[in-house]
Amino acid sequence: MSDLELRAGASPADAPRPPGRGRGRHRMPRPSALFAALFVGFLLVAVVWPGLLETAPPDAIAPAEAFQPPSAGHWFGTDESGRDVYSRVIAGTAPSLLIGVLATAIGLALGLLLGGVAALGGRVLDFLIGRVNEVLFAFPGILLALLVIVLWGPGPVTATIAVGLSTAPGYARIIRGQLLAIRGSGYVEAARVLGHGRARILGAHILPNALVPIAALATLGVGQAVVWASSLSFLGLGAQPPAAEWGAMLSAGRTYLGTAWWLTVFPGLMIVATTLATTVLGRTLTARDGARR
Amino acid sequence: MPATSRRPGARAAARLALPLAAVAALALAGCTAADPGDASSTPKPGGTLVYATGDAEPDCLDPHVGGNYPQALLAGQVLESLVSLDEDRQVIPWLAEAWTTSDDGLSWDFTLRDDIVFTDGTPFDAAAVKANVEHLQDPATQSSTGYLAVGKVASVEVVDETTARFHLTAPDSALLESLAQPWTAMESPAGLARGMEENCRAPIGSGPFVVDAWVPQDHVSLVRNEDYRGGPADRGRDGAAYLEAIEWRFLPDAASRYAALQAGQVDVIDNAQPDALRQAREGADGLVEIDAPRPGASNRIELNSGQAPFDDERVREAFIRAVQVDAGIDSLFFGTADRSHSVLSSVEPLAYSDPTLFEPDLDAANALLDEAGWSAKGADGIRTKDGARLVLRFPVSTNQSIPAEQSLFEQIQATAKEAGFEVQLEPLDLSSWYGALFAHEYELVSAPYTKIGPDVLRILYHSDSIVPAPSGYFANLAQLSNPELDALLTEAASASDPAERAADYEAAQRIILEGFYALPLYDQQNQYLHRDAVQGARALPTVSTPWFADAWLAD
Repeated sequence: MSDLELRAGASPADAPRPPGRGRGRHRMPRPSALFAALFVGFLLVAVVWPGLLETAPPDAIAPAEAFQPPSAGHWFGTDESGRDVYSRVIAGTAPSLLIGVLATAIGLALGLLLGGVAALGGRVLDFLIGRVNEVLFAFPGILLALLVIVLWGPGPVTATIAVGLSTAPGYARIIRGQLLAIRGSGYVEAARVLGHGRARILGAHILPNALVPIAALATLGVGQAVVWASSLSFLGLGAQPPAAEWGAMLSAGRTYLGTAWWLTVFPGLMIVATTLATTVLGRTLTARDGARR
Repeated sequence: MPATSRRPGARAAARLALPLAAVAALALAGCTAADPGDASSTPKPGGTLVYATGDAEPDCLDPHVGGNYPQALLAGQVLESLVSLDEDRQVIPWLAEAWTTSDDGLSWDFTLRDDIVFTDGTPFDAAAVKANVEHLQDPATQSSTGYLAVGKVASVEVVDETTARFHLTAPDSALLESLAQPWTAMESPAGLARGMEENCRAPIGSGPFVVDAWVPQDHVSLVRNEDYRGGPADRGRDGAAYLEAIEWRFLPDAASRYAALQAGQVDVIDNAQPDALRQAREGADGLVEIDAPRPGASNRIELNSGQAPFDDERVREAFIRAVQVDAGIDSLFFGTADRSHSVLSSVEPLAYSDPTLFEPDLDAANALLDEAGWSAKGADGIRTKDGARLVLRFPVSTNQSIPAEQSLFEQIQATAKEAGFEVQLEPLDLSSWYGALFAHEYELVSAPYTKIGPDVLRILYHSDSIVPAPSGYFANLAQLSNPELDALLTEAASASDPAERAADYEAAQRIILEGFYALPLYDQQNQYLHRDAVQGARALPTVSTPWFADAWLAD
């Protein structure tokens, strides 16, 4: 019994909340995490109430004011049709971020299903899913996404599904590993010895303990998915005109890179900052999760 | 094997040759430095010119098949036509030395040059002309441009080796102009006989260059035709091209094309963008511009009058009155393009223009739409009628439309919205774009059409052109069907009196413009940029494709 207790104590997440033994530096968030959280907050405002932040209607054209450099009136300058780049960057947050979040959700859901079946569904299924996953891994994710778009045609919905599908194999593999580790852990063994049913073991022990690290992982994944979604829009396969979307704005501004840098720099910065912020947040969550164990 | 035993020796020779060549080059450089004026004016044979095209890569290099501008660009280096045009747009000899027409205009005799041989050794003669016209008219060729160009040719008779007689079904005032185009260029009959697949890969002509290899998605290599002796009558010299070869690269991205030119990786680019042109005009980077607007139609947006909502003239007029174009052209093209109010190119002497029809007037547009029954408005400001939204589908071929033009379309989309139109812009690759047109899934479309002379009106707006050509393409994208217009266009195409022809074409253009079937934007922009080291390159006045038979590299 004591041996079992010891092993259980060392295994993942026997205590769901950090008791007093968490290290101090994890209590106070680091400045980087604070900035990241603030920036994500800003993004959320831009998604939910873009009107609060926009200084001009994002689609309103004014050819006479085209190609103006950043100024007090147009913080990020104006584009080739005289539209306010800052307002378009704000308006572009929702499609860019939504595609990223939804795609991650799709990838995660599929990953959970595939990883769960592989880990808990017996050897044959594990073998089959493992081989299919290996084939999918052989392709770069963006290539898989392109394939999906070729089959279903361009557009924001297809882009979301495409990015989601192509991230799924990665999640499936990690989730399978996580589940296998937990299934073999002492406390699950203990629960089994105590006579708990399969469903109860899965619901009460395995899933909750697997989900915490996966949530952190998903936060990391959102950044990646935003980059992928922007890449697809950059190629003209995501958002369609005149919708403001960061990747599409990059693509349109690229023509004028030599004469009007602000058309590409600001949407580019937003993509970088978003990826950075979600990554920092994801890492902070992972670190906290690690500290809890 | 002898080949392997010889190789080390060859390498040693190469090693020796390199320093020698360097010394020789230095010595030569010394000579030219002493006499710079001479170096820039005396053509220097040899070298490979790298041409980067932004036009779509053709599926088939034979311009008889289909017949679009990307094919013409490349075919112009390889094939030759019966006649050409000079700078004043007068017809001049090329493969045909002279021509006469009968009094009734139903038969034409072409006297051919007797010293021309195709690059596969087949002689060029009247039988070759007959074979080419028959190839264009054969449905299996799937020709559209060339097929329409020789539409009135009933047959070609081989009178003797150097005389080809064209028998027509009706007089054709545009026959010479049609035959000056690259889409009706002469190919080796033996080459045509190889079958479509092989001929598409490497058409055989009598031009200054020969197709050597085609690496799809990358480039076509052209090598010099050492026996070349032809050329249009305004060429001014005989003999083979100076350039040893041309590497014809496909570089669809405008920014990378311009960057490659600036870096000296390529020598010539086509489809130069407005901002690049502005820089070149300001004298940057030692770049030279060739401005050669395409003949035929202007760049215009066609309004599909064949189905709702544009089957109602009031809705068409409302759209044209609602959109703002002028300011956008000024800002997006940096003054490199002028607004057009004609469906014909400004290089066409018979172009008719009426700016008053295109004055923007939002109030008038709103009134017209109310009158046409599109009076209800949804919450998003889009008008509706019997539950249907006022949607205009606008497929855009990203291969045939430059970024500045696509931005202009976005501005049109924004201004049309103020009147309650929902314009759905769909950027598509070429084959999906054709797919949308063939399925009639469009209300607006911009399709460049290049042809020599005002007869392009017959191709674009005669009701016969609603019927698809063998390739599936139909040129009357406005789906304009008007018997009066048909009669005028037919009469003009047969008219022998120039004044009558001009009057007919003016009346025809008035019907098109006053019926609001098209929104003209500007001439088909066609600007090339090349490094100043490229000398002697020019655009042929026929359809403004570049011609490199007399080009050479000064460095």
